[in-house]
Amino acid sequence: MRYDTIIIGGGLSGLCCGISLARQGQQVAIVSAGQSALHFCSGSFELYGRCENPLEGIASLPKEHPYRKMGIELTASYAEQIKDIFEAAAVKCTGEATRNHYCLTPIGVIKPVWLTLNDYARFESPDRIPWRKVALVNFEGYLDFYPQFIASGLAKYGVKSDIHSLSLTAFDNLRESSTEMRATNIARIMTGEILEQIAAYLNSHAGDAEALFLPAAFGLFDDTAVAELRAMVSLPLFFIPTMPASVPGVRTQIQLKNYFQRIGGTYLLGDNVVSGEIENGRLKSVKTANHGNMTLSADNFVIASGSFFSHGLIASQESIREPIFGLDIYADRVREEWYDKDLYSHQAYMGYGVVTDNKFRCSIDGKCIENLYAAGSILAHQNALDEGTGGGVAITTALFVADEILRSR
Amino acid sequence: MSQDKSNITNSSFEQCIKCTICTVYCPVTAVNAAYPGPKQAGPDGERYRLKKPIFYDEALKYCLNCKRCEVVCPSNVKIGDIIQLARIKYSTSSPRLRDYILANTDLVGSLSTKMSKIVNSTLKHPDVKSILEATLAIDSHRDFPSYADEQFTEWYRREAQQEQESFRHSVTYFHGCYVNYNYPQLGRDLITLLNAVGYGVKLMEKERCCGVAKISNKLIKQATRDARRNLAEIRTAVARGEEVIATSSTCSFTMRDEYQHILGLDNSDVREKINLATRFIYRLIDSGEIKLAFRDDFKRRIAYHAPCHLEKLGWTIYSTSLLRMIPGLELVMLDSQCCGIAGTYGFKRENYRYSQAIGEPLFRQIKYSGVDAVATDCETCKWQIEMSAGVKVEHPISLLAEALDIEATRALNGVK
Amino acid sequence: MRQNGNNHYDVIVIGGGVTGAGTARDCAMRGLRTLLVERKDFTAGATGRNHGLLHSGARYAMTDQESASECIRENRILRHIASHCVEPTGGLFITLPEDDLSYQTKFIKACHRAGIIAKAIDPKEAILMEPSVNPDIIGAVTVPDGAIDPFRLTTANIMDAQLHGADIITYHEVTGFVKSQNRIEGVRLRNQSGEESTYYADVVINACGIWGMHIAKMAGVEVNMFPAKGALLIFGHRVNNVVINRCRKPADADILVPGDTISLIGTTSSRIPYEDIDKNDVTPEEVDILLREGSRLAPILSQTRILRAYSGVRPLVAADNDPSGRNISRGIVCLDHAERDGVEGFITITGGKLMTYRLMAEMATNMACRKLGKKAHCQTASTPLPGSEPSKESKRGKSHIIELGIEQKAAKGRHGTMSRYIHSHNAIDDALVCECEQVSVGEVNYAINSLHVHNLINLRRRTRMGMGTCQGEICACRAAGLLGKANNCAEKSLNDMAAFLNERWKGMYPIAWGDTLAEVQFTSWLYKGVCGLQPDKGEGINEEKEQR
Repeated sequence: MRYDTIIIGGGLSGLCCGISLARQGQQVAIVSAGQSALHFCSGSFELYGRCENPLEGIASLPKEHPYRKMGIELTASYAEQIKDIFEAAAVKCTGEATRNHYCLTPIGVIKPVWLTLNDYARFESPDRIPWRKVALVNFEGYLDFYPQFIASGLAKYGVKSDIHSLSLTAFDNLRESSTEMRATNIARIMTGEILEQIAAYLNSHAGDAEALFLPAAFGLFDDTAVAELRAMVSLPLFFIPTMPASVPGVRTQIQLKNYFQRIGGTYLLGDNVVSGEIENGRLKSVKTANHGNMTLSADNFVIASGSFFSHGLIASQESIREPIFGLDIYADRVREEWYDKDLYSHQAYMGYGVVTDNKFRCSIDGKCIENLYAAGSILAHQNALDEGTGGGVAITTALFVADEILRSR
Repeated sequence: MSQDKSNITNSSFEQCIKCTICTVYCPVTAVNAAYPGPKQAGPDGERYRLKKPIFYDEALKYCLNCKRCEVVCPSNVKIGDIIQLARIKYSTSSPRLRDYILANTDLVGSLSTKMSKIVNSTLKHPDVKSILEATLAIDSHRDFPSYADEQFTEWYRREAQQEQESFRHSVTYFHGCYVNYNYPQLGRDLITLLNAVGYGVKLMEKERCCGVAKISNKLIKQATRDARRNLAEIRTAVARGEEVIATSSTCSFTMRDEYQHILGLDNSDVREKINLATRFIYRLIDSGEIKLAFRDDFKRRIAYHAPCHLEKLGWTIYSTSLLRMIPGLELVMLDSQCCGIAGTYGFKRENYRYSQAIGEPLFRQIKYSGVDAVATDCETCKWQIEMSAGVKVEHPISLLAEALDIEATRALNGVK
Repeated sequence: MRQNGNNHYDVIVIGGGVTGAGTARDCAMRGLRTLLVERKDFTAGATGRNHGLLHSGARYAMTDQESASECIRENRILRHIASHCVEPTGGLFITLPEDDLSYQTKFIKACHRAGIIAKAIDPKEAILMEPSVNPDIIGAVTVPDGAIDPFRLTTANIMDAQLHGADIITYHEVTGFVKSQNRIEGVRLRNQSGEESTYYADVVINACGIWGMHIAKMAGVEVNMFPAKGALLIFGHRVNNVVINRCRKPADADILVPGDTISLIGTTSSRIPYEDIDKNDVTPEEVDILLREGSRLAPILSQTRILRAYSGVRPLVAADNDPSGRNISRGIVCLDHAERDGVEGFITITGGKLMTYRLMAEMATNMACRKLGKKAHCQTASTPLPGSEPSKESKRGKSHIIELGIEQKAAKGRHGTMSRYIHSHNAIDDALVCECEQVSVGEVNYAINSLHVHNLINLRRRTRMGMGTCQGEICACRAAGLLGKANNCAEKSLNDMAAFLNERWKGMYPIAWGDTLAEVQFTSWLYKGVCGLQPDKGEGINEEKEQR
């Protein structure tokens, strides 16, 4: 099978890259080994979380950092471009690359971010939360969301909270299983009559609260349920992300994937690229577990297979490697150097990844593979947690690589 | 602990990093709270079952074996296999008469085709259905697929076998129970299509049921016996230089994956030669070995439903790519989701309700799609969709055969 | 919390390990007014950092007949009094091609001398008995080994001590003794917020394991101890169902023990400086040795996921006539400091092992009773611990069968007959907090209410929450929520959660490759990334570097 571009990895980065290329008329196939880390997305994306103006902050990053390789100008331009893609895919969110806003995390921490989905709680600044009192509502017996944590977080900024526990007979069936009262399963039943019952409860229990906060358990595949509920509730209503699997993450993944397929992309889920055929410094084709002797060939390839979580990188007792092609990577050799003994300190392994040239082209034994690009969290010299750059690197490097591919023709 | 033959351990459960993604896509969890969900039933439960077998939960019987959990798992955990193996290894409930009848598709099929008229009309009778429900717990809402009055193999040996020798190339066709006993026309369509491109179609000496129904009804000994016979036949075909193709995605999947993963039979020497009809044809076209020509007067709007086991194989793209080659065919892709039947699962009274609830979103989508027919590579999906969505379901091979300009195709491929 | 009206006791036991807990139980059962004090949590020392092996004594038969016969006697007692903590798995002593088979005959003779039933069997039979064992074995001997859960055992002793009137105080460190002339009259304590208190007793028993040397020094006496560190690895699931030992002179990594849902390989053995007894680090070299040697016992270990690495410190006591430490006793040491050092009212009980905790408690309590002039017999060898009482239902016969849920079966396995106090009234009680180890909301609430749970680490030791495959990724937040609700303090709960995850990491980093590294990256994304969790730099984080 032949494509213009084949992308390995179907997460945020792979999808953004695929969409960008398909929008330019390319035939693109994405091979994804299972679902991606986008499923744990909190409803917000970070560009750079360590200062007020992310674009200014980027300048302070080391020069090997993916942002620095692209340069601030291009990073800024891709940060702008993604809005158009998200809008076309019906992923509705807002935010500015020049100024972080703040979101509420599942444990009530108020955190600087770049883009937040429109239904989710957000403030311009923690000192200027627009409500004096809010109502926090949880579902009786749902364990992945504790309003007490949120209330305690809001109280630090002078916002009072009333905590409500909502019990509906509709949940009885879900609770029958000792494990399956998960946000995503709750979201499945949030339709029609149940939404009406919830709206009625919210309207009668809000008291003197000025806004309503609920766990993100509405609208698994699209935002119909969210719109319906909001229309029935008199106060402003916002969602707070839960522990995984997260509804906004699943929804974003599905919306992006659907959009990619709608514009002609091929999405091969549940398959693993096992090897590639390299000739004269170019990757000609890849072999996958499912397609066996039917190799997939293309002019260009992108590896967006993620970090350790997604097995884009694999650590053994002795070493760290990129498992498909054996690409050149940046990693410490001695196991003791991989980690810090304090979980909350800088962890070196988080910054490991494939090394590339300034166009994000990969190499093997120092020799550049001219048509194999890397994007997203597999790239070395970034530390999403220390820097607050996870979503931003995934998105901007993906769009950069797409442009490089289009330019290379 | 004895080293039981069926005690095949699958240690992929250890790769689970508890991300819960499988629970999002399990069709059963969505409708049946008595099912513990793929994570609990699979990797989490496995640790406890290894501690003590009393931790086996009979609710694992609700698993459809659709393998959608495996398709979405980012850590390559063989969740579906773990659950099926646990059912085989630990369940204390033994198969009932009903399960034997449903599972022995080949035995029941060969008896029924002999008296197809009586059987077909009897099985449609509401009283008979009620009796079946009362005595055998086969749900009375279910329509049984009707039986053909002549088996495909009988027709083949009489009408087709001889001329198959005259082609340049040949392939072995695993027709499966459905084509043999219920719908021989699909087999004939495949022969028409392949003959037109210069391929003769051969059958196995003695084909057995692929065994999927026996596996899901825990008749493991019989399934293994059938599987061994089939593997021997496949090896004979491969030795002749032929690939073995099936029109049923489930037969193909079972022989490729379940023989090894569930029955513990080593098929690695021939696995790559077990193929699906649409993938076989697509590859011939893709490599430029054959060409197809289509009629101008074929105009149809068709929706494609991706069967679970075809999704697990990752091969949906071959069927849809072939359909897209037909100029007069407008293809509508349905969302990839389980139809709920899962072979014999949906026939059982205790599952009927869940079976229909699982398929409901799919049926709704089909009804709103306004298509002439649905195409799919799986026969049990076909029964379920025809019964529940009221739309005719056809196999991609039949659609290709219908749209094919036979003369032009022969000419293109140099077939006299 | 305290049942006694004032600060005066007959006996104060220092140390919340299994020896201290057993001693408090014995004292209380003999009618002594008893207080147990612990600086951290129960089982935080060597008790929670060993193999969890119910020794048959065979391991010691060749080197130490006294220990071997103590072990087999206590083995039989524990099977009876602590049935819910014991798994009677049986054990194998295997000989590999590189080992000397003639050792086997001597070994069996030595076992018989100590009263241990040891029987040589055909290696083929051994492989059928335990399919994970190295198929290359050339010899095998069966012995009555088993598995014992030290957490449950300690908790049950604590519970019974309380039922007999003892008071228990955790998170109180001994800062000094009340002394008048040559008599110890009480202890000074400081809690975690720095508040001080004093308790008085006629007899103080030092049951602090390796930390006992420091306690003794505070009391003005010298007990010379040599810390011997042992490292172990926990594997992700139950690889073996029979204990596998190597039939040779004791060496590194020669015992593989199944314990609940996991298997344990250990140990290494190295002397460490006394200053390092709180470190509990496991080095990469130790991990590599354990894996290499462990795979000789059961080859599958080389492909099995490792959950954690941890280490404990054995207290080896130097004989009084040889302070150099060349003449080390591995047996029980029970010191009457009045006799030995002229300090009245002070006893040290140390040495010994998990297996002989009850015997150690009996010896210490006998000594205390003598000092107090109390004549009461020890009953701990015959009275079952709470949770291990013979079940009434089984006597009556099965009149009706109630199908228990998976989580209820798991809880019954952990708490024995005490599981009847775990709420299971509705679906909310049965919902799982920890999905890997099947710990329900009901079980968590039971532990919070009845088992001295102040933080998530305590909760883990009482239930197994967070001990499974994901090492707390799914359950930390849920359990913190429940604890926060119970204590009505969200902020403390979040700090506690941060500390708990860090404590889990302590056991993971020595083996941070493969699935473990993927798992911890996921956990970090969730808690540090999605949640924005940061540890409180103040109190709370220094809880303890707990492992296991």
